[in-house]
This record gives sequence, C-alpha cells and structure tokens, in this order.
Amino acid sequence: MTNTAQQLDTTPLVDTGYYAAVTEAIRAEAARLLTDGTVAAVIGYQAGKRKGTAMPAIITDPARANDLIFSPACVNNLALYLTKAKKDIRKTGKVAIVAKGCDMRALAGLMGESQLKREDVHIIAVACAGVKGSGAATGEPLTTANIAKKCRECTVREPKGADSVAGSLPSLPELSPVEAEELARLEAMTPRERWSFWKEHFSRCVRCLACRSICPFCYCEQCMCDRNRPQAVETSPRPAGNMAWHIVRAMHLSGRCAGCAECERACPMDIPLNLLNRKMAKELKELYGHEAGLEPKEKGPLAEYREDDDQSFIK
Amino acid sequence: MPKTITEQNLRLLVDTLLKEGARVVAPKQAGTMALYEPLKSGDELALGALPRRSAKETFFPLCETILTFEKDKGGVRVNDVDPASFPETVLLCARPCDAAAPSILDAVFSWDYNDEFYLERRRKTTIIGLACTTADDACFCTAVGLSPADTRGSDLFLTPLEGGGYAAQAVTDKGKELLEKRAQFFSDAGSAKPLPPAEPAGESLDLEKIKSWLDNNFENPLWTEIADRCAGCGACAFLCPACHCFDIVDEGTEAKGARRKSWDACGFAKFTNHASGHNPRDMQNKRYRNRIMHKFKYYGDKFGQTLCTGCGRCIRACPVGIDIKAVLDEINSK
Repeated sequence: MTNTAQQLDTTPLVDTGYYAAVTEAIRAEAARLLTDGTVAAVIGYQAGKRKGTAMPAIITDPARANDLIFSPACVNNLALYLTKAKKDIRKTGKVAIVAKGCDMRALAGLMGESQLKREDVHIIAVACAGVKGSGAATGEPLTTANIAKKCRECTVREPKGADSVAGSLPSLPELSPVEAEELARLEAMTPRERWSFWKEHFSRCVRCLACRSICPFCYCEQCMCDRNRPQAVETSPRPAGNMAWHIVRAMHLSGRCAGCAECERACPMDIPLNLLNRKMAKELKELYGHEAGLEPKEKGPLAEYREDDDQSFIK
Repeated sequence: MPKTITEQNLRLLVDTLLKEGARVVAPKQAGTMALYEPLKSGDELALGALPRRSAKETFFPLCETILTFEKDKGGVRVNDVDPASFPETVLLCARPCDAAAPSILDAVFSWDYNDEFYLERRRKTTIIGLACTTADDACFCTAVGLSPADTRGSDLFLTPLEGGGYAAQAVTDKGKELLEKRAQFFSDAGSAKPLPPAEPAGESLDLEKIKSWLDNNFENPLWTEIADRCAGCGACAFLCPACHCFDIVDEGTEAKGARRKSWDACGFAKFTNHASGHNPRDMQNKRYRNRIMHKFKYYGDKFGQTLCTGCGRCIRACPVGIDIKAVLDEINSK
C-alpha cells in the first residue's frame, strides 16, 4: 500500500464492536468444546506482542480460551495446522479450528484429497469483514485502503457448512477488485511482456520456500523440488531454478488452490504469487468447468485420468 | 577535525567510485521494496529505506558459483573461481544492525577453515554505516547491546544532520583513508546538530541470563510450543544479517555444470538430513531450538559473541507471527 492510499482512506471499515463480538463468540465456543471434551485442541488466533498483531494459537486448556482473539490482523489460513506438515497437532484428537470463509475452501479441498475427515474437525467459522493486506502498518484499523486484495472480492464472507459461526457481518462498502484488474492487465500483455513481468519478479526469489511452507496444499512429505538424485528443479536461487520452481508449484496447485493467498502474503520478496494461482484457477474453470469451492471434491481435473480425455494436445 | 558530507556529494562520491571500477552496494529501490544492491549511479541511492534483506549478501551472496566442471575427451576439467577477481567494494549506508553483522561473522568464516570467498570480499570492502533516526516496533538493536548510532563494524560512519547532510566519522584506518583520499567531497563540520538517534522501544535483554537458561534447557516445553506454530520456512534466516548456514550443490549436467553455494536455513525440514537418512533435527521443535541456541548460546560459547543484531527483519517477515524478541523476553523473565 502506498502512503497516498493511506492518506486517502484511513476511516475504519468496521466498528470495533464487531471484533469484540466475534472474539467473544470464539472464546465461548472454544471454552465449551474443550471443557466438555468435544475437542482436544482449538486452533485459533492470539494477540502478538506488538500492538495490533496476531498469530496462530493452539490451545488445549479451556482456561486459555480467553487468549483467543479475532482482529484485522488475523490473516493466517489456519488449515495449515491440519495437514501432514504439522501432523503433531492432529495426533491430539479431534480439533476445532477458527476459519474465515476463504480458509474453509482449503478445509474442503483437504477433505476432498483425503487429508482430513469432516468428523475429525469442528469448524468455528467467522462471519468475516476482511483482514489487512501486506504492508499495512501494525495497529492501524482495517480500511478500504489497507484491506487484503483477496478480501476486496470475497464471495464467502458468511460461510456455510461450519459447526458454528462467530459474529454477524456488518454492512460493508463495495470494494474495487484490484486483483482481478491486475490479472486482466497481465492477460492483455503480449506473451513476451508477461514473460518479462514474471522473470523480473522471480529474479528476486530467495527460495526461502515460505510460499510452500505456508500453503495448506503443500503437504507432500517429500517435495519433488527437494530431490537431488535426480534433480528435477535446481535448488539454488538462480533464474532457471526460480522460474521452474514457481511454474511447477502453479501447475501442482491448479484446480486445488483455494485462493487463500497465503503464499503471496508470506513471500518476503513481494512476488504476486496469487495472480499465478488465480490465472491457473481461471484456466481450469474455462477448460474443465472445475472450480475449488466449499464442497469437498474427490479429484480435480489434473489429478484424474479418463479414457475419454481430450488427447488432441499431444502431437 | 570532524567532517560532513552533503547528500549531493554522497551521490557524487558514488559516481566517482563507480567510475574508478569499484562496486558500490547500497540501499536501492527494487520494485516494492529497497534492497542492498550494486548501484549503477549515485542517483539510485535510496537513503531513507531499511532494505528488506540484510547487507550480508555483500560478503556472502545468496548464491555463488565456487567452481565449474566440464567433461571432455581428456577427462574432467575443473575450473576454480578465483576470489582475487572480486572487485573492491564500498558498502554504503549500511544500517548499524547490518554493519555490525560481518564483524561478528568473521569469526565463523575464519575458524577451522578460511572461507576465502567470504574473507576476500571482507578484505576488499569498506563499510560506510548510517545512523538510524527512526525505528519501528520490530527494531530491537538496543536490547542486544547495539544502538541506532553504533559504529561497530563500520569503517566510516554517517549521522544525519538537522537541515540535511551527514556528519562523517572515521572509525577505522580504512575509513580514515577514504576520508583523506576523497577529501573533495567532505567539508569541515559546521554548527548543524546531528538528528537524535531512533529509540527502539523494546526492553533490554540480559544476554548472560538468557545464555545461562539456554545452557540448562536443551529440553524444554517452550521449544514445542513455538514449533507448533512455526511453518518451517526460511524467511527468518534468509532476511537475517547474521544467519550464515549454507548448502553446496552441483548443478547442471554430467557433461558440464557448476558447484554452487547458497543460503540454507534451520527452519527447513531437510536441514541436517544425513545421507544415511537420519536427521538429528527431525522435528520443528529441534530446529527452532537450534535457531535460538545458535544465536544466543553456541555462538557465544565458541566465539564470545551474540549472533543477532536486533534488526527485527525476522519479526516483520514471519508468516506465522513468531517474534524472536517476545521469545527472548520470555526466556529473560524466567
């Protein structure tokens, strides 16, 4: 976010009473679930040390339910903590998870891919007004200028299919879809221009792999991109390997990505990774009529084979 | 006699150094962020910004080729990279938290093995530090014994002055030599006062106390508590001025390729994975413990220094909100 944008609009988008109500509902539900033994742990958010920050919290003691919060800084997709990458938490038994609408798509996807059983998870959904985007200062309220790009065109503010819903949604202003506009701008480019756009971005990639580590769908215990005998993708942060890594990742997530945009948020080098994900999602919708949604689907188009598949592209 | 330099002369100094064939690395705007990058002209210098990545890559690049190999009829030819070919470098406007780091890292790169790639760059580099006049709530240099006006690691140190320009103080002989050799860009100090240094808000840490707790708490539930949250990415280590783990890989084909050294991170699941398949740090709690132990115990045990300069980059970048200062505060309060 630019300073100009900040000056243009610093009016809070939502009344603080909304966050207080969501927080209260989450706490009450967490305390109830832990006390009556419905779940062994609750995965939610707690305040960070710096003013206005938040971070994931995993609580097992009902006495700690009051540590849980919901605020514009609750950006994480907590579904990450239910995948194989974080298998320790699941071992504790049935768990409850606080989920925004966008995060519920990831839960549905993980169920579709047999990584998670509906009966093993208690979903505390949030009627969500949005969270802050990267670059927003800690401590400042949620505004039309600093709201995360994905929230500007959210379609699941009031998620369905959860075990309970925390809070009720206040009325929100119409927000311009900056990410869709950026995607349209990219699509209007010539292939050469697009190539140079991505080349420039990927040149800054340091291969910290935060994009992979934070993604709920990157749950493979053995990533092909870590292998060195044979080596499929160069692991050193150089143009060839960086390009290969991001293309492999985009392809692997096609039709699976739930659009939480965590990869883009986690990227310390500000690579607009969600644009790639969105583009692939769009392709999958156009080519196969497939879309990652809130209903678990067993297989996406790139994960199954049918005898009557179109083979015409093989020359 | 104290000296000053105007912003314009600082940029002209860059141009002169470049014209003479030196590499000038300094904060430069790169897309949405500033990075320490080689400049093409003094105009590119971004004076107000704290670069997203630290300045360590001036000495310890993100990725560097250490040899190349080629197979031909006569066998395999191996070509070493000669560190003597590295250019003279000026690292300009390094923040105190960045300028201090290489002077800490010298110990590990010249301990049981002299890493000539690192050491030759160090020998050929002059560091011009720049005092910080602003800090954010992630900055904690004062808590680890540095300060926004600390000259540690700098050869020459600049302090912003009221009304513009910088006071220039030579810290080492290298810095003194630069001041004398480039005297045309510097003036005698006038009456302008230095801008007050930034005041990072974090409480001070008792590093001895922290080390002694770490001495006795290799096994502690704290490690699991943090690791439950840690996503195991390398963002913290990659942005850190002091983290220096690296990996070496051969890339290319059997016929032709290169051996490359690039950054590694203790957050990664495969960090310390042995060829046998055994991994002594097989779980995230052991890896996060290693991160804290390395910075606040092992490096102290071995080299008598703390491997953290309080830049706060790991705090700003952590995608799951792990705040190393909060972790240290907790240990400090035990």
